[in-house]
Amino acid sequence: MAREHLSNDEFFTNLSGLLEANRKKGHGSVFLTQKRLNFSLDFSTPVLTKVADDPLWDTHPENPLPLIVRASNSKSTKRDGSDRKAEAKVKFSTVVQPDAIDRFFARYAEVCKAGMSAMKKRDRTKKKKDKRKKVKAGV
Amino acid sequence: MPYFTTSAEWLEQSSLLLKARPTTTKITSKYSFLAPSSTKIAKQRARLAAKAPTISSSSTHDPASLKATLTLKTYDPESGTCLKYQTDKAAEVGRLVGSLGKLGRHMAALPEDLSASVEQGSGTNTPAVESGVSREGKGGLVEVKGVPAVGAGGGAKKKKKKGKK
Repeated sequence: MAREHLSNDEFFTNLSGLLEANRKKGHGSVFLTQKRLNFSLDFSTPVLTKVADDPLWDTHPENPLPLIVRASNSKSTKRDGSDRKAEAKVKFSTVVQPDAIDRFFARYAEVCKAGMSAMKKRDRTKKKKDKRKKVKAGV
Repeated sequence: MPYFTTSAEWLEQSSLLLKARPTTTKITSKYSFLAPSSTKIAKQRARLAAKAPTISSSSTHDPASLKATLTLKTYDPESGTCLKYQTDKAAEVGRLVGSLGKLGRHMAALPEDLSASVEQGSGTNTPAVESGVSREGKGGLVEVKGVPAVGAGGGAKKKKKKGKK
C-alpha cells in the first residue's frame, strides 16, 4: 500500500474537514491513531530491529524517531429498514518529525477542540453561582 | 479491559507502557458522535418506565439525545495490554490531546518535557538510572538514557495491576 503521507498542514485541513462533515451529518465516528514510525519512509526496512539478547532493544534509539498519525472515519453501508446512508471510508496520515512534535500537538489540540463540538459543555449555571459567591467573599 | 476513572491515571499508566514498549504501542483516540440505535432507546425507555412508572418517560433524561464521547485507548499488541479512558466532557479535550502530545514524546524517544512534569521526572528517573547501570554491566548495553529501565519497572507494575483486576 503505497499511500502518500500528507504534510502536517494538509493533515489538519483534512482533519477539520472530516470532523466538520461528521458534525453536519449529525452522527458518526472519527478515529485518530498515533504510533512510532519504525520504518524508513519507503517502508523497506525497519529502523530498529529486535536484538535477541537485549529485552530493551527498542527503548534507547540513537536518534529520536518520527511519529505517524492517522485519521479515518467509519465506513458505513446502506442498510434496509434504516435511514443509514452508504459512506465511503476516508483515511489519511501524516508523519510528524521529532522536532515538530510540540508544534504539531498544539495545533492538533486546537483542531480537535474545534471539531469535537458535540461533547458536553461545562455546566455554566453552577459556575455562575460560584463566581457570585467568590465576588461576595472578596468584597 | 475496564476504563480508567481519571485521565491522570490513564496518562500515567500509558506513559509507563510506552516507556516499556515504545515501538509496538499505539494510541487510538475515537471521537464518536452517535445517535443511539432504536433498540437501545426502546430498552432505555422501558427501564425508565419500570423504575418510575409514575413519572412520565419524557423526564430530565432524554434517551434519544445524541451522545458524543472521546475514547482514548493505548494498546500494545505484543503484551496485549490495553488501557482505556472515556469522557464526554468538551472541557477535557484540550488537556487530553495535550497528554497525547506528552505520550508522543515518549514514542519518538524524546526526553520528557521538563516544564510539564518536573516532579514526576525526578521521582521516577532516579531509580531508573541505577537499575539501568546494573543492566549495563550484565547485558552490555551501550547507552542508557534512564528511559529504558523506567519502562522495565513500568511493565512489572502494570502486570501486577492487571492481576488484581
